[in-house]
Amino acid sequence: MRQGGIFAAGAAFLIVAGAFVLAVTPASFAQAKELAPLDTKGDASIRPWKRYDKWPKRDESKFNTLAKISSPPAPKEPRKLSGPIKGDAANGAKLVSNRKRGGSCLACHVMGPAGGANLPGNVGPDLSEIGNANLTDEFLFNYIYDARVYNPETVMPPWGSHGLFNDQEISDMVAFLKTLKSPAVFKTALDNPEKRPAPVEKRANLDPMENPGMWAIDKAKELWSKVGSTGKSCASCHGNPAMQFKAWASSLPKWEPRLNKVLGVEEFITRHARATTGAEYLMETDDNRVLSVYLHNLAEGVPITVDVSNAAAKAAYKRGEVLANRKLGQLNFACTDCHGKSANHWIRGQWLGTLKGQYDHFPTWRTSQLVIWDIRQRFQWCQVNIRADELPPDAKEYGDLELYLAAQNDGLKENVPGIRH
Amino acid sequence: MAATPRLKLPREAKKGDIIEIKTLLPHPMESGQRKGKDGKVIPRKIINKFVCTFNDKPVFTAGLEPAVAANPYLEFFAKVEESGTFKFTWTDDDGTVTTAEQKIIVT
Repeated sequence: MRQGGIFAAGAAFLIVAGAFVLAVTPASFAQAKELAPLDTKGDASIRPWKRYDKWPKRDESKFNTLAKISSPPAPKEPRKLSGPIKGDAANGAKLVSNRKRGGSCLACHVMGPAGGANLPGNVGPDLSEIGNANLTDEFLFNYIYDARVYNPETVMPPWGSHGLFNDQEISDMVAFLKTLKSPAVFKTALDNPEKRPAPVEKRANLDPMENPGMWAIDKAKELWSKVGSTGKSCASCHGNPAMQFKAWASSLPKWEPRLNKVLGVEEFITRHARATTGAEYLMETDDNRVLSVYLHNLAEGVPITVDVSNAAAKAAYKRGEVLANRKLGQLNFACTDCHGKSANHWIRGQWLGTLKGQYDHFPTWRTSQLVIWDIRQRFQWCQVNIRADELPPDAKEYGDLELYLAAQNDGLKENVPGIRH
Repeated sequence: MAATPRLKLPREAKKGDIIEIKTLLPHPMESGQRKGKDGKVIPRKIINKFVCTFNDKPVFTAGLEPAVAANPYLEFFAKVEESGTFKFTWTDDDGTVTTAEQKIIVT
């Protein structure tokens, strides 16, 4: 992250030097110093935004998103129970490992024999002996119903107050928890999240034989010389992209005063092409993705350095930080719940990384999807996963969040296209 | 088919060298076992045959089956005794043939 104080002196020097150079160099240099043309009117993605067909559809409208706060408030007091809980432990055992009901308890807890002790996670404590802890029914019930009444800092979803399980189902799970009295027996060492080695990504992501994401670059080079409706192509102004863009992508996203929002590479492509060649490269379309891969790839190995030195960019960064900590969706997770507080743990069989490391390889090839995803699509999928409504990719909230995320990745080297599951 | 095949093999070698050849063709390899959203089976469409020749003599042939994953990647070895041209052909279920070739200088 560039800090204002140190660079102010440098900027003053550049202005003096720039004035001198401008006087003696041809017009083309002066043009390069002008602001890049941008379309500032329309949207940069499809409106109304429609969720991808293959993604789950649910009604999540009453929960927080990055654009609104609407989730029901946390209860202040635990609910009182009229008597001891009558629950069906066998049904409880099924519910705790049912992936279709919010991801299952096993995603975060080892729970003795539940789910065959098959790849449980370790974000939360091991509950395999909780039946020996002499906890009251009321405590167990309320901890599942809404753990915030006991621990306001918890990352556990409010299963009851957000309507994921009804009272009877929670009672069944309490009955099951009370049967847990001995350590889990794992079939293989890998099933034990405490022993499971952290994944290491070692594939040669810049080899087109290993990473189909690299094929985007051929396509991007074709688009580069494709003439748009104005009779111009990218190549008309950018004849030597390898030189002109050897660091550009590493300095984005950045605050754009003409649009009053933060622009990432993808939105820049849409708006700049519209204003210059006339081509329509809407965000999250194939052409936009391949151009983004190409421009990021040209900055291969350049450390990410986003500019948060001016007041507007600082304010955007602060907003991004607030958004990264906002609880979203029915599962009530903030970005930092998984990639901060619970980072370097397992959520079922998936490793949660820190925010640092979630940006340098985007856009990335996804081997499970056979497509390229840019960072905005990744944001959208995170939200759909935690049962929150996603925003259109050009939403200003994503700009703020991307700036915050990029700043957390400051100094990591651009390495695009990545290759991930 | 618009997909560009990928080849990786040396452009020069010494007489008698055993060289490594990597080939890949972007292709969905639709198995014919899957159902679409409408409940109908998505028709099979795979690369069913791959042939590599050197100076028109066969080097390597493979019959591919529906279990092969998308973007079939084949890697094999050949001994080169003379300069010449490796030719590669991929045959699709729909009859489309994709070809690629690369010369090698053997000294």
